Amino acid sequence: MIWFTWRQFRTQTWITIGALATIGVLLVIFAWNIEDMYTALNVAACQGDCTAVIDNFLSQFQASNHTIYDLAQMMVYAVPALIGVFWGAPLIARELEAGTHRLVWNQSVTRTRWLATKLVIVGGAAAVSAGLLSWAVTTSSNRIDDATGDRITPLFYGARGIVPIGYAIFAFTLGVTLGMLIRRTVPAMAATLAIYSFAAYSMQEWVREHLVSASHVINPLDISSPHTVTISVGEANEMTVGVPDNLPDAWVLSNQTITDTGQVFSMPADSQYCGLAASAQACDEWLGSLGLRHELIYHPANHFWPLQWAETGMLLAIAALLAAFCFWWTRRHLT
Amino acid sequence: MSSPVLQAEGLSKRYGRREALTDCTLAIPPGRVVGLVGPNGAGKTTLLHIAVGLLSPTAGSIEVLGAHPASGPAQLAKVGFVAQDAPTYAGLSIADHLRFGAHTNPGWDQQVADDRISKLGLDPSQKAGKLSGGQRAQLALTIAIAKRPELLILDEPVASLDPLARREFLQGLMAYIAEHEASVILASHLISDLERVCDYLIVLVASRVRVAGEVEDLLASHYRLTGARRDPADLPPGAEVIEESHTDRQSTLIVHSTTPIDDASFTVEQITLEDLVLAYMSQVTDPLPALETTR
Repeated sequence: MIWFTWRQFRTQTWITIGALATIGVLLVIFAWNIEDMYTALNVAACQGDCTAVIDNFLSQFQASNHTIYDLAQMMVYAVPALIGVFWGAPLIARELEAGTHRLVWNQSVTRTRWLATKLVIVGGAAAVSAGLLSWAVTTSSNRIDDATGDRITPLFYGARGIVPIGYAIFAFTLGVTLGMLIRRTVPAMAATLAIYSFAAYSMQEWVREHLVSASHVINPLDISSPHTVTISVGEANEMTVGVPDNLPDAWVLSNQTITDTGQVFSMPADSQYCGLAASAQACDEWLGSLGLRHELIYHPANHFWPLQWAETGMLLAIAALLAAFCFWWTRRHLT
Repeated sequence: MSSPVLQAEGLSKRYGRREALTDCTLAIPPGRVVGLVGPNGAGKTTLLHIAVGLLSPTAGSIEVLGAHPASGPAQLAKVGFVAQDAPTYAGLSIADHLRFGAHTNPGWDQQVADDRISKLGLDPSQKAGKLSGGQRAQLALTIAIAKRPELLILDEPVASLDPLARREFLQGLMAYIAEHEASVILASHLISDLERVCDYLIVLVASRVRVAGEVEDLLASHYRLTGARRDPADLPPGAEVIEESHTDRQSTLIVHSTTPIDDASFTVEQITLEDLVLAYMSQVTDPLPALETTR
């Protein structure tokens, strides 16, 4: 069964190795260039307040050719979906569609072993491919991530560390399951793409932030620090106060000004203090007297690995359930 | 060894309200070449798929070579199966298929496989997708044979073949059986395909087994009676009418009887296997319980 799985999967393996090697070489060249830039701009040697040096480094990076960086970043998101669509969905569906399951299930190998071999080999290849790509991207963008402090923000977080492995294995088992249920390759591929995309989006948008409990900070509103007062034009004259989060390395989930009772501060502006006619100083003094507070909910940079482990674990658990369902279904219901 | 190769008790398979197989009871003795005959949609494939474990029955029980179908690697190794339309992997070569067989079957006989492929004049490097229907059926049979099964089950193996390929296929099959003493079950909707090779017959019509038994016994216990027109009800006891046709003056009956028909008013003739099968196939309106010949 191992030889046969390899034989069926041979072409995809060579294509994948070729693509990964190409991206790997380009990323190595990219990383060298970044390293040169990093050294030339003395970022490493910088002591004390390095904001200017880092900003200079980042603007040089932005001005340089970083197509491969952007491309590789996109690839980390695309690869799990591609694996689900091109490796997962056809794995069983193609056999059912061509009727070859009636051939392979009548050799001296049980269906359970047949499926186990396929899941382990192709699923393993999925994990290795996604892992290598993510490792290459994570390593080559290390300097930039250090400079921006954006590693934990959703767009970058999803293309770093171990979560791409979790997504690849989840997408693969999802594709296998859908192919098994739909029994036709092309519809199964389409369904895999749709459901995987929705699942990945939901994870990033609604689930991830709850996997590790976020830091929650409430401070009295310091009216002497920078802030913006917004007053809507018109009848309502709604007034809100915005304060920058000052958390450069964090993933900020919520940043708002609240009243002493915990409500989001939003009320009609009192034109006596705030508004076009009044001075900014008068407005600030009046705001300072209201007892407002500043509330921040965020994941600091040190939540990066706890989040990565929790999210990968959750994806692997879903994949394990899907795989168990596949075993049960091939034994009981597939004919 | 005389325990049956296939024993079924009240075997039934339903798809929703449709009966694919109804109350099938069979005991096929070993060492036979069994013809499973019936019109398209009669339930032949359903029965064979249950026998190889591709389907599970809704009711009843089945044992193949004394065990539950597809119950484990040992059971799978004992049964060879060529599915309808002889599925193969279009992108893989003949040699790849043989390597696949060798890797998935502990009892694989590479010699048998290589000999058959070279005798058929096939190029091992050719892709299965480029083979003709007959060649593909031969490849599928080669894989099934080279795993050295005790029971070989073939579902409409010759249906899609031209007459020459049919003959070659059956010749290859017979050569194997003669050499290895395996039992074979062959399904077909045409008895003429199987007439020359099978020594045991099962007729399956509209999901029910109409008759099953040794070909020799079946031929010895069925008669065509021709005579002046009369009511088939007053036949001698023990004779059962399978098919009747009447003209104004004459009645022609095909009857089953375990004792010789001794009735001077009829001309009694032996019938051919094809006539026998056709008689049972045309008996669809009569929901008689399955009839088993005595042995």
